[in-house]
Amino acid sequence: MSTHAVGIDFRSNAKKALGDASLRASMRHAAETFASKRTGAFASVPVEDWRDRASEIRLNVLDNLPDYLDRFTAAATRAGAVVHRAKDAAAARETVAYLLKDRRVDKVVKSKSMVTEEIHLNDHLEMRGIEVVETDLGEYIIQIAGEAPSHIIVPAIHKNRRQVGKVFSEKLGVEYTDDPVVLTSIARKILRKEFLSAQAGISGANFAVAESGSLVLFTNEGNGRMVTTLPPLHIAVLSIEKIIPKLSDLAALVRLLPRSATGQTLTSYLSIITGTRRPHERTGSKELHIVLVDNGRSQILAGECRDMLKCIRCSACLNVCPVYRTVGGHAYGSTYPGPMGIILTTLLDGMNRAHPLLDATTLCGACNQVCPVKVPLVRLLRILREQRVEAGFTSPWERTAMAAFGFAAKSPTLFTAGQRLWKTFLPVLGIMERSGTVGRLPKPAGKTFRRRMS
Amino acid sequence: MKDKETVERFLRNAANAAAHTVLVFDVDAMNEAMKDILGTEGAVYCPRETEREKAVIVPEERFTDDYFNASICVEEVFGAIAETGSLICTSTGGRAVQANLLPSHHVALVSPEHIYPTLEDFFAACGDPPPTNITFITGPSRTADIELTLTIGVHGPERVSVIVC
Repeated sequence: MSTHAVGIDFRSNAKKALGDASLRASMRHAAETFASKRTGAFASVPVEDWRDRASEIRLNVLDNLPDYLDRFTAAATRAGAVVHRAKDAAAARETVAYLLKDRRVDKVVKSKSMVTEEIHLNDHLEMRGIEVVETDLGEYIIQIAGEAPSHIIVPAIHKNRRQVGKVFSEKLGVEYTDDPVVLTSIARKILRKEFLSAQAGISGANFAVAESGSLVLFTNEGNGRMVTTLPPLHIAVLSIEKIIPKLSDLAALVRLLPRSATGQTLTSYLSIITGTRRPHERTGSKELHIVLVDNGRSQILAGECRDMLKCIRCSACLNVCPVYRTVGGHAYGSTYPGPMGIILTTLLDGMNRAHPLLDATTLCGACNQVCPVKVPLVRLLRILREQRVEAGFTSPWERTAMAAFGFAAKSPTLFTAGQRLWKTFLPVLGIMERSGTVGRLPKPAGKTFRRRMS
Repeated sequence: MKDKETVERFLRNAANAAAHTVLVFDVDAMNEAMKDILGTEGAVYCPRETEREKAVIVPEERFTDDYFNASICVEEVFGAIAETGSLICTSTGGRAVQANLLPSHHVALVSPEHIYPTLEDFFAACGDPPPTNITFITGPSRTADIELTLTIGVHGPERVSVIVC
């Protein structure tokens, strides 16, 4: 099928990743660290009650999203913000570029935001002659290295300290060191100057509160606070499903998001920003523009995978996924990796491009166990796999084999005959087929269950 | 005075988040603790707006009203949350929200009456509309972006001291 050519080449990406010893070591270290932090964070708290409550809040949002969006827009506007709705990536990029160009901004500081990665905002702004400085340490590392994030919370997780040291010495002209403390202080010095001189800041948001028009940001480094309060112009870019109804709903999510993400009770900073600087205030942005990005969400909301929009981007499903933990984020060839990434990418980019990603799951269900808002990840993966078959994206071999199995399974005689055939020809197939896939299949039992029972 | 248990829970959780915590019961004890915390070096910013801030003794030669160039920020914060060990800072009354972000050491004075037991207690009390900026501060600025190795003090303060008085 010719459409296969445009798909993400997950298999070859994964193969490359599996051969990269340093990546494997980084991922192994990350998996162990995340697992132990998570265990600590959820010890002796009523996690199931919390998950139920958080799931309820998110479902309520999806049931009433258009209404909440209107309420958010009204409240944020009352508080002094200007709210823009962008139906797709191009509209969102253009809105941000126009705001900056109109105010003659040529350099902007930015805090971490996955939706800006999704819409490729940085490339677009650079193309329009606006310099973008990422200020989250992990984002800064990959920005100067010229790479994309491989994890939604820890973007440079695929790099070890020596690789980071090398990037710093090559790109920043500093003396080589692999000490994280020294590397961090180098970035601090460089970025502090940028914060103080920037004419505008771009941030994402973890949540947006419908009732008050507030933006909520969880950060650890403090760059998010700088970006949103130091420059006179603050532009927040967020996808429409980030809405929560009331400020009081935040409590349930505050308890779950950092614990699920990094194993912290709470991130160092949690900022709740409502509108612009008021008359008697000395700090805060003078102008706040909020860009609500749809980019396919309304369509997802109307379809059978709408529960994906419950996701709060904590990354817990990445950290427990046996596939993600082995191959890392870049193999997915998409903005969002891991279980949530497979689903969201398929829904956002379409089956044509994303169908190979549906192989990047074992359907083991570890993701379902950890999701703080109970996104039914496995169910959604199954739905999308079914859709992949219906859309004709599986190989003719697989389809023929499945059809033959379906036919044979209806008749005891044919089924037994099939079992015998399989047992006889499997070793031969194993020799013929070179990729080793058949060779890795479990060996058939000597005596079938039915024969032993008869 | 909030119940002893809430105060203790706040202090315990703030300490767990790597804040340095002190509990004192009068102004003299507060200044005694402050002397240790401020040490002998670095410019100190203090807004001197609230009663507690006015009672803080800062050596005159170290005092500055420019928080951009201060090493230490001493201020009374809006309140705290026991459940998470967080300080609550707001822009209420025109407070400068970056004063406790730019210097490398943040010294927060917390009145025990303003310690909320849970997140819900604070959200129920924070008003409608809420202040322009509410920031919960839970320990020092940190990152684990290089090999998930915890590094303290990235863009914000590397030290957070909390005095409940």
